[in-house]
Amino acid sequence: MSALEIRDIRKSYGSVETLKGIDIALQSGEFLVLLGSSGCGKSTLLNIIAGLAEATSGDVLVGGRSILGVHPKNRDIAMVFQSYALYPNLTVHRNIGFGLEMRGVPADERDRAVHEAAKLLQIETLLDRKPSQLSGGQRQRVAIGRALVRKPQVFLFDEPLSNLDAKLRLEMRTELKRLHQMLQTTIVYVTHDQIEAMTLATRIAVMRDGRIEQLGTPEEIYDQPATLYVAGFVGAPSMNMLQAVFTDGKLAIADTDVRIPVPARYRNSARDGARVVVGIRPEALRVATGAATDLSLPVEIEVVELTGPELVTTARIGPQRLTACLPPRTRLAKSQTCSFAFDETALRLFDPATGKAFPDQSSRV
Amino acid sequence: MSGTWMTTRAWLLMLPLLVVMLAVIGWPLADTVGLSFTDAKLVGTGGNFVGFDNYANMLSSANFSRTLVTTTLFAVISVAAEMVIGVLAALLLNQQFHGRAILRALMILPWALPTVVNATLWRLIYNPEYGALNAALTQLHLIDAYRSWLGEPGKALAALIVADCWKNFPLVALIALAALQAVPRDITAASLVDGAGAFNRFRFVILPYLAGPLMVALVLRTIEAFKVFDIIWVMTRGGPANSTRTLSILVYQEAFSFQRAGSGASLALIVTLLVTVLAIAYAALVRKTAGSAA
Repeated sequence: MSALEIRDIRKSYGSVETLKGIDIALQSGEFLVLLGSSGCGKSTLLNIIAGLAEATSGDVLVGGRSILGVHPKNRDIAMVFQSYALYPNLTVHRNIGFGLEMRGVPADERDRAVHEAAKLLQIETLLDRKPSQLSGGQRQRVAIGRALVRKPQVFLFDEPLSNLDAKLRLEMRTELKRLHQMLQTTIVYVTHDQIEAMTLATRIAVMRDGRIEQLGTPEEIYDQPATLYVAGFVGAPSMNMLQAVFTDGKLAIADTDVRIPVPARYRNSARDGARVVVGIRPEALRVATGAATDLSLPVEIEVVELTGPELVTTARIGPQRLTACLPPRTRLAKSQTCSFAFDETALRLFDPATGKAFPDQSSRV
Repeated sequence: MSGTWMTTRAWLLMLPLLVVMLAVIGWPLADTVGLSFTDAKLVGTGGNFVGFDNYANMLSSANFSRTLVTTTLFAVISVAAEMVIGVLAALLLNQQFHGRAILRALMILPWALPTVVNATLWRLIYNPEYGALNAALTQLHLIDAYRSWLGEPGKALAALIVADCWKNFPLVALIALAALQAVPRDITAASLVDGAGAFNRFRFVILPYLAGPLMVALVLRTIEAFKVFDIIWVMTRGGPANSTRTLSILVYQEAFSFQRAGSGASLALIVTLLVTVLAIAYAALVRKTAGSAA
């Protein structure tokens, strides 16, 4: 039995459909990240699970029990909000124990649970303070404590790290990962930050226009994006997309004489003359040394940016641009010509007409 | 630019205002203080210096203590009722429903009407011969015969309080409604998930955001209610049997009806002092509320 099951959830506001049939089943202990840009419907879906918004149709089950129409307090879920949503006039202690207090849990039991959560989150010394006396990171810990203390079946996180600065966000991300590994709780986490999604999730649902574009493990999402949208959305710098045509069993890069072999796993998809988008991650490219091979692209360097751990290089291949993440010691200069080599396994082919990846015979996505 | 020049310039810019304020407030106040130490009549000579006699006579008179009780009763009950009704109205008008915008606009109407119009309206409603209240209560079989709501000492003050509430609760409702817009949606949602019912949601989530603005409304309304004159003057003129006479009415009667300008001036200054004490106490409360909400 799934810890959380979302069945064909739809949501309309008048004639505008914001969720167009979402199906997800989560096993206990899974960390699902709903990833997408603003307005894709991820927060709406979270609010429907929480009971803060009503679905137009479909069902949500927690532990096999339908919870649509059930009051939020009786859904056996806890939620952490982007704005922390702490009660400003209550101390940290009462904020954390508020859910238990409202459920009539005796004071001594409540106090024990609050101290347990505070210890876990390292905020024991802050229990007598008011939220206004806390930093952003401390507030978020309190908000997490308030959710933890109730020990619900499912935790919902609505962009919990968005209000923190970059350094704190990194710290809290690691903290969340540690907590999940320790407690093995079931989590649904909304974010538009792909790094958060990649680092935290056991599975990611990439959402777009009210639909799930792809649902898979972080590795699947990154290495085998199902659509051009996912390929472009996940990864920074994003995946290179080269326009090409299937020609005589090769991939002819548009407006150049460059031909690269069609990877064996895509041979069944290759229809001579058909247009194709060749996807390759920037970090899969390296500067070729020695004689040119079939698996290389001749380029002219345009811009070189040293970020510290890597050298982000923008180059041209004919009229098209290509980005490569190279080792920081690589010696390259503007207008220099060279070749970028890659492994055949790094290529991902997409149909530009449908935006979907061509079937990959070596894996199931 | 030096601090001294900035300070001088600030005083120079404020000078015209200070002159006008001295002319329209300072001078009459000083004149009233002077007058309060005399036995001057409204018409005639300037009167003789009598020291604190006017104050002593006024503070020890039964009229004054009875009027102070009436004024306090009027202020406390009407302001408390306005607060409760105003907050309830604001909570209602903060809900999503069809016709909310029209209802919000209609609610402001009693407050927007001039007090004299409002008072005249309520006099008609309370009229012992053809008043709407008598008609409604008779038809509902709640009373057997028409009553003189403003003519009976036991009922007149209550009738005035109802009229005053009707006039002033929209101000409290407006302030509360504005404050309700500041309650973060996430906190309300968090309290729902945490299992807070309607009462606890109001107590722990909404009230902290309402407290500061409501305190301001409380200060304004209490001071206004304490020095109320117009609505009472139009409706009862302080009667029957002085049962609705408030301090401001007493000042008017003393100074203009009985033409005792010196005595009236001393009473006016006592009222001013009482209102000032109230204002200072409330200002301290507002600061404390704002401090604890931060």
